[in-house]
This record gives sequence, C-alpha cells and structure tokens, in this order.
Amino acid sequence: MPKTRKVILLLYVVMIMFPFFYLFLLSLSAEWKFPDLSPNYFGLKNWEQIFSSQSGLGVSFITSLFISFFVALTTTSLGFYVSRYISYHPRRHTMSMLAYFPYVIAPVVFGACMIYFFLKMGLFGTLYGVILAQSFVAFPYALIFFTSFWGEKIQNYEQLVATLGGNVLQGFMKVTLPLAKGMLMICFFQTFLISWFEYGLTSVIGVGKVETLTIKVFLFIKESNFYFGALSCCLLILPPLVLIYFNKRYVFNKIL
Amino acid sequence: MKFLQIQNISKSFGQTKIFKHINLELAAGRTLSILGKSGCGKTTMLKTISGLVAPDEGNIILEGNKINDLSPNLRNIVYLYQEDLLFPHLTIFENIAFGLRLQNLNNEVIHQKVNQMIVNLELEGQGDKMPSQISGGQRQRVSFGRAIIISPKLLLLDEPFGSLDVETRYNMQKLFKHLVAQYNITSLFVTHDLKEAFTMGDTMAYMKDGDLKVYLSKQSFVQDQSTGMQDEISFWKNINFFDNE
Repeated sequence: MPKTRKVILLLYVVMIMFPFFYLFLLSLSAEWKFPDLSPNYFGLKNWEQIFSSQSGLGVSFITSLFISFFVALTTTSLGFYVSRYISYHPRRHTMSMLAYFPYVIAPVVFGACMIYFFLKMGLFGTLYGVILAQSFVAFPYALIFFTSFWGEKIQNYEQLVATLGGNVLQGFMKVTLPLAKGMLMICFFQTFLISWFEYGLTSVIGVGKVETLTIKVFLFIKESNFYFGALSCCLLILPPLVLIYFNKRYVFNKIL
Repeated sequence: MKFLQIQNISKSFGQTKIFKHINLELAAGRTLSILGKSGCGKTTMLKTISGLVAPDEGNIILEGNKINDLSPNLRNIVYLYQEDLLFPHLTIFENIAFGLRLQNLNNEVIHQKVNQMIVNLELEGQGDKMPSQISGGQRQRVSFGRAIIISPKLLLLDEPFGSLDVETRYNMQKLFKHLVAQYNITSLFVTHDLKEAFTMGDTMAYMKDGDLKVYLSKQSFVQDQSTGMQDEISFWKNINFFDNE
C-alpha cells in the first residue's frame, strides 16, 4: 500500500476515534491541572461512582433508558399503525405534510410554546411530561418513516391473503408484520436515538426535575466537572453503540 | 343451475364509470376467457367478484347463494394478480401451504397436500428454497399452487402470464390447463392477448369501455369483427414470407 494512502487512512481513523478515545481517557482521570501533561490520578475511581447516589449517574442512565425505550416502542407502534391509514387515504399527501410541522421550529422553542399545555395537564416537570414531549418529535418521524412502506404492493399482499381465506389479524400477523420487521427495527432504533439524545425539550418540560443522561452531561459541564461529564458521555454512547451493532448484525444484513 | 351468475353489476369511482350492467353465467369446472385492452375495467370487475371492491348495484351469485355481503376471506374465491406476490419471508413449501395453514389443518395433511402439489407443479426439490432463489416461471407456478391447493370455488386470474417470456408463457398455459382439469377449477381468465384468451377459455367474452359481451360459442367470438380475431386471421393468411426473395 502506498505511504500516502496509509497516512490518509490513519488520519481518517484518528479523526473519527479521537473524541471517543479522549472522552474515555478523561473519564478515567482526576485532578488534571494546568500545566501538567498527565492527570495526577488515572484509574476507575469515577466509573466506580456510577451507581453511587452522589453522582446520580446510575439513576439518570436508567431513567434515560426507560424514557427512550418507552418513546421508541410507542411511537414506532403508533407510527406504523397510523401511517397505514394515512397512506391509503385519498388525501394522503396533505396528511403526510402535517407530519413535518413539528420540525418547522426548533424542539426547544416548540417545548417553550407547549409549557402552558403541560402546566395545565399537570405534566410539567414530570417523567410522563418528558415522555409526551419527546413523543411529539419522535411520532411524526415514525409516520414519515413508514409512509414508504405502505403502497400498492403491500395492499395487494393484504388483499391476496384475504382471498386466500385470511382475516385482517391473520394477514397482519403472518404477512404484513414479517414484511415490515426490518423497517420496524430500524424505526425503533431511530426513535430511540431521537429520545436518547434529546436535550432542548427535556430541559424545558423536565425543568431539571427529570434528569436524563443528556441533561446530566450539561449539568456536569456547567459545574466544570469535566471528568464526570466525560463519564456521562461514555455512558451516553454505550446504548447507541449496542443498537448500531444489532442494526448491522441483524437488520441491514437481512435487508440487503 | 349455473355455478356462477353475475347479474347486472356496475361500479363507478366518483364520476368515472368503470363498468356497467355486467351479466355473465358460468358452469362449474369451466374457464371463461375475458379479452380486453388495458383500462377497460377487467381488474375492477374481478376485484368486485372477489369482494375486494363493493359493487354499486347488481348481484353476485355463487352456487345459488348471493354473496354480495360476504367478506373476501369467506367467499372462497381466490384472486391472482399478474405479479406472483410470493411471500418473500416464506419458503416455497410454506408459500404453497399458506392457505392451508390459515385453515388450521393438521400438519401431516398439510405436508401431504403440499408435497403432492409440488410434484404437480414440477417443482420437486425446490420446497426449501426462498422465492428469490427461483425463476419467474417457477414463481408463477408456486402462485398457482398456493391458490389451487385450498380448492377455491372460483379462481380469478388477472393477466397471470403478462410478465413472462414467450416460451415460459406457453409452458404455463399448458400447466394451467392441466391443473384446472385435474382439480376441476372454475375460473375467469383475464388477458389482453387474443391467442391466449382463445387457448385458455372454454367460453369467451370481450370487454370494452366497461361493457362485457359474452359469446355463446368460440365460433361467434371469431366471427365478431370487434374482437380483432378476424384481423388476426387475415393477417396470418395474407402474410407472404417470400416478398423479399
């Protein structure tokens, strides 16, 4: 391999991996003061504190997991179900356009506009409020995502099952669902990530009472606690990495 | 008593009339070929008979029973598309067994029936393959097998060989004739191919702009100028192969 190509490839790997490597290194460090070239402490001290009540990282991690899992599951299921009716409706183009509305304004502004609604509903600063707020963003995404699935071919499959003697439920369970399996998994991953990395809406509607991992990262950075900030980032990256692995291993390989 | 009776059925979508006052009768075990150009209302007519589209008026009577209000899954009428529509997530065996599994039949019975059908379709050794691993003609055969195995009262075929090459098409026509006779299937066979319509049907019908004309005999179909049969015959009669020599 020519030397230039090797250097370019190495640069590419370094550029991609540097932030992750640096964050991991920082999460293992403590008492790193200017102008020292290396930290005074290097070890697992920070990581051991994940589940201590003082850092609150463990609770935030579990809270984030619960919120994202719930948001992904409900919006994917609901998006799949509702998009079918939209796709087969005579005014499907107008109805599909509505799904883009939440993305016209930034999530944080959207959240600010909705504060009064959440206050009146008693959801302001609650876990359910954050779930609902995040669903406002994730649900239209799922709708848009599934629009491409429903079409003449799927309708033909459904009709064929009916003439072969299958009822609506049998058609759904034996044909539609298996055909949509790959897309359902991808949508689940995507909506999970939308919820997992959501900051603006969560901070406005959660008002600091619902501490997701993303909120925690910013809190640590505001406190200038970069070591715990880096540790939070490492935890933040963990579930997406697992999802990417599963996506690649079980979904993409089967679709392609 | 006729096996199938279509009485005065019409269908419109908004202001557009798709077909109007269609009448036809068909005896059990017979095939009616319906010839017509694209967009003349053939597909909607078949979908109406199968229950996938509701008629605006008229009656559909099968074995003496009016089935207008019966949902498609209870009619025992299979509608086959031009596309084979094999389920991509199921093997060839499971595709053929699909209708039997819906009926919750005993696994042993299913295996016996499907294996016999695989032999009839000349698809031995292909049962474990996925639909993407077999040819277009084989896929169409599986599609037939999947429909015929549940012994439908009526089989509706919507240009089933439209996407096949000439040779495969000819083989499929032969196989279809054979299976229809073997399983005593009553069918409506829609095509825009004159020769195919003539080959496949016991009786003939011609559809134009939503009107269906059913012929009493193949002879009367041939003699009717509007079917295009006379033009076809005169073309082959007058063709001179030695013009350029």
